[in-house]
Amino acid sequence: MIRVENLSYTYDGDEIPALKGINIQIPRGIHLGLIGPNGCGKTTFVRHLNGLLPTTTGDVRVEGLSAKNPSDLYRIRQLVGMVFQNPDNQIVGMTVEEDVAFGPGNLALPSKEIARRVREALAQVGLESFGNKAPHALSNGEKQLVCIAGVLAMKPRYIILDEPTAYLDPSGRKMVLDVVQKLHAKGITIIHITHHMDEIVGADRIEVMDRGRIILSEKPGVVFSKVALLKDVGLDVPEVTELMWRLQKMGNTVPTDVLTLEEACRELNACLAHTKGE
Amino acid sequence: MVHLGQYIPRVSIIHGLDPRVKLAATVVLSIMILKGDTLTQCWITAFLLILVPLSRLNLCHIRAAFRPMLFFLGLLFFVHLLFTTGTPIPPFPPWPVTITHEGLTTGAFVIWQFSLLILSASILTMSTSPGELICGIERFLRPLNRMGVPSHDLAMMISMAMRFVPTILDELNRIREAQTARGACFKNGPILRRMKATASLLIPLIQSIMRRADALAMAMESRGYSRGPRTYLRELRMGRKDYLALLIFAGAMGLGLGGGYVLSNGFG
Repeated sequence: MIRVENLSYTYDGDEIPALKGINIQIPRGIHLGLIGPNGCGKTTFVRHLNGLLPTTTGDVRVEGLSAKNPSDLYRIRQLVGMVFQNPDNQIVGMTVEEDVAFGPGNLALPSKEIARRVREALAQVGLESFGNKAPHALSNGEKQLVCIAGVLAMKPRYIILDEPTAYLDPSGRKMVLDVVQKLHAKGITIIHITHHMDEIVGADRIEVMDRGRIILSEKPGVVFSKVALLKDVGLDVPEVTELMWRLQKMGNTVPTDVLTLEEACRELNACLAHTKGE
Repeated sequence: MVHLGQYIPRVSIIHGLDPRVKLAATVVLSIMILKGDTLTQCWITAFLLILVPLSRLNLCHIRAAFRPMLFFLGLLFFVHLLFTTGTPIPPFPPWPVTITHEGLTTGAFVIWQFSLLILSASILTMSTSPGELICGIERFLRPLNRMGVPSHDLAMMISMAMRFVPTILDELNRIREAQTARGACFKNGPILRRMKATASLLIPLIQSIMRRADALAMAMESRGYSRGPRTYLRELRMGRKDYLALLIFAGAMGLGLGGGYVLSNGFG
């Protein structure tokens, strides 16, 4: 469980705080979506979760450990892994396996254990045969998988994905999202920041942030049915939800908490059958 | 295309040796080459020529190692040829700057020396992956930790610099294309304009490198990088074959020096 109480944060030299009193509990095993317009504080918020930014006001506890406590910080970084936007700016090794070994090496594990973890982590993201390759020889999607493997080699309980697909082409995006699904199924808690709403329609909960506050915390169906609110803060909704919303605005009786194409087809068929029946 | 000293992945006796053995041998060889006389030089030449096939390297690799140095070697030869004082070779007049017997021999000797240096360094870097090489250097620097030289950090810096070379070259190409699309001209035109155009490459490049460095520091910190102790995927361990190789090397060098001494001074 990650417990955040009353977390506020102001960057040096700024007048307006980036975070204003965030309260949230993130239970183990959940897939949490985090959305919000640019500059709303999403990244600032998640950087508190593994102590990349110091907790100045309020409290952040990961499994009872406090990020304020320097001796706990080490353990928190192992428990909470973070994957950033640009894979090129995360890979430090000259080969894939050296890069995956970076985290466990920082934990000062024996070489044998590092080798075992590297093998396991690469297998989990489906890059078993990539160990000796140079990072710049990989596609961006593969590079991002290497970054995820690098985090997995630390054996984290939580993985924060900070717009992991922003630099990827559609096939790379799919590779990364498939792996994220698989990791979630294995019980790893996923905290997923994104601008692509369709990436998190399957999440357990979505937090909507705006101007340093969490303004909504609900299941995806509920969040995306509040189309007017989302549009108001400058966010999009999944395309099918938008379609249903527009149909409803035109006076049709269709639900707006529709997230997938299949659901939309079903609802539209039902609606058409209903109109014909009249 | 093989570049100067680029690692050539092979399975060979030399490739399989501990990088520290190879590093130490290269250092000793270099000192002997620079200090040595003609006889030692002959001996080392023979030794290195045996190492080439042992490392499963062929003529192409060696040629690739020498190609970028040819101009330098030629220049070195001519400087020695022209500026060494001594007895001029017949058709040339006895001016201060002329071709002399001494110039010819020193010039030949110096390029021989430099060729041997290039050859030995190439065998090292072509048979040792950069990762291993850094590991070896790091291990040699570890005793300096007590004097405040952070060997881990140094090794990290070298390996990251090497890791980012292709990334930054890509970036440079991207910026060049972007600037060309905006009408910048890097290939022709007056020199002043081309220099200005180059500045338009450097400033965005430096800015992008800075941004990268920030993001990278964040990512490394988040993966637990700190001042504390680190371990590596592959810790170096000297095996029997490594000690054997050291012994053979020491023997060969001892024999070369001893033989040279005996030959030049006689048994008396």
